[in-house]
Amino acid sequence: MAARCVMQSARTVLRSVQSDLSNKGLFQSILGFSQFSFLGSVPCRGLRHVVEKKEGKTTVIEGEIEPTSERPQPPNPTAACPIYRWNLQNKYNYTDVLLLSQFIRSDGGMLPRRITGLCAQEHNKIAICVQMAHRAGLLPDHRPPLPEGYVPKPKPNPPLNRYLTRYSVTSVKPILKTGLKWCKKRMSVGHPALKNNVTYSPKPLYTKH
Amino acid sequence: MSSFSRSAQQWATFARSWFLIDARMQPPGKIASMCSVRLQGKHKPIYHPLSDIGDHVVVMNTRHIAFSGNKWEQKVYSSHTGYPGSFKQLTAAQMHKKDPTAIIKLAVYGMLPKNLTRRTMMQRLHLFPDDVLPEDILKNLTEELPQPREIPRKLSEYTQEERDTFPMLWTPPEDYKMK
Repeated sequence: MAARCVMQSARTVLRSVQSDLSNKGLFQSILGFSQFSFLGSVPCRGLRHVVEKKEGKTTVIEGEIEPTSERPQPPNPTAACPIYRWNLQNKYNYTDVLLLSQFIRSDGGMLPRRITGLCAQEHNKIAICVQMAHRAGLLPDHRPPLPEGYVPKPKPNPPLNRYLTRYSVTSVKPILKTGLKWCKKRMSVGHPALKNNVTYSPKPLYTKH
Repeated sequence: MSSFSRSAQQWATFARSWFLIDARMQPPGKIASMCSVRLQGKHKPIYHPLSDIGDHVVVMNTRHIAFSGNKWEQKVYSSHTGYPGSFKQLTAAQMHKKDPTAIIKLAVYGMLPKNLTRRTMMQRLHLFPDDVLPEDILKNLTEELPQPREIPRKLSEYTQEERDTFPMLWTPPEDYKMK
């Protein structure tokens, strides 16, 4: 549909070849077409198509916001939170990177709740899963931009692999005395906010190892 | 196989096989339990603790094991030689840096039965930090065991097609920039 609009604008441009602004229109329509080659990959603002209107001696070249269509409908459209709209509550984990990447900025931070429309509990759970995914190294491209001329410290090669890390790596202290069986200091794995997640095996989720 | 002669059947039943496990991105505890089961011979229906029936196990890529939670910083390996002042405590990260095979070795040692056969079973465990194996061990390998943990895919490993088919859960407002 977007391609059709672009073709229509290109046709109007070709009809008015004599005017000076035709080259500009052609260039803009070519620009518009090159933008639409990656349709659907980064829908940050509304997609626009170029429209040229000629009234006497003035030509108005406008970018009209296109109504988004051809989107799959959520199974529960009346709910307030997007997770409840798609019935994904208690079903996602730190490994579902395709889901988590929709709620993060390009430098890895979470988007504000008032923009995404998530309810408080789900926003918290998604933030926790995003943190765990970052620590597991599943989001390699969402890193904060480093200042110019910054030389990173030499890191141990290869880095230590981890997953389901609840706490930040530098903040945790070693457990020097674990204690006896009845008062053992356990090491925490995962997060209690995700304890209601669906398990497809008879074993429960252990958060204390 | 029933077509074997009696001596050939006996030979095949009591043969010692060589298993290979890739420990990349795997929890060392799960790898160690798989190793201990096969070193004792508990995966065979002819098991008996006195008959020396365990197999060889080769673990590669022990440098790339993955601990769940914050165990790299929290788990502490303590040792005391008996002399005063020789109590050493190392975190898992420090231990791994010193010797990349030590974590799995200690885990398997703790999971084997605490008797005299434990030392012979540990001699049959072969650990390698990377995937470079010596030729004589490569020639002996019979079976590779599946990995216990499913490795999650990074965002960069998903194809553009898969990313497009995944639906957008929420529509951003028209005037919101900076994604």
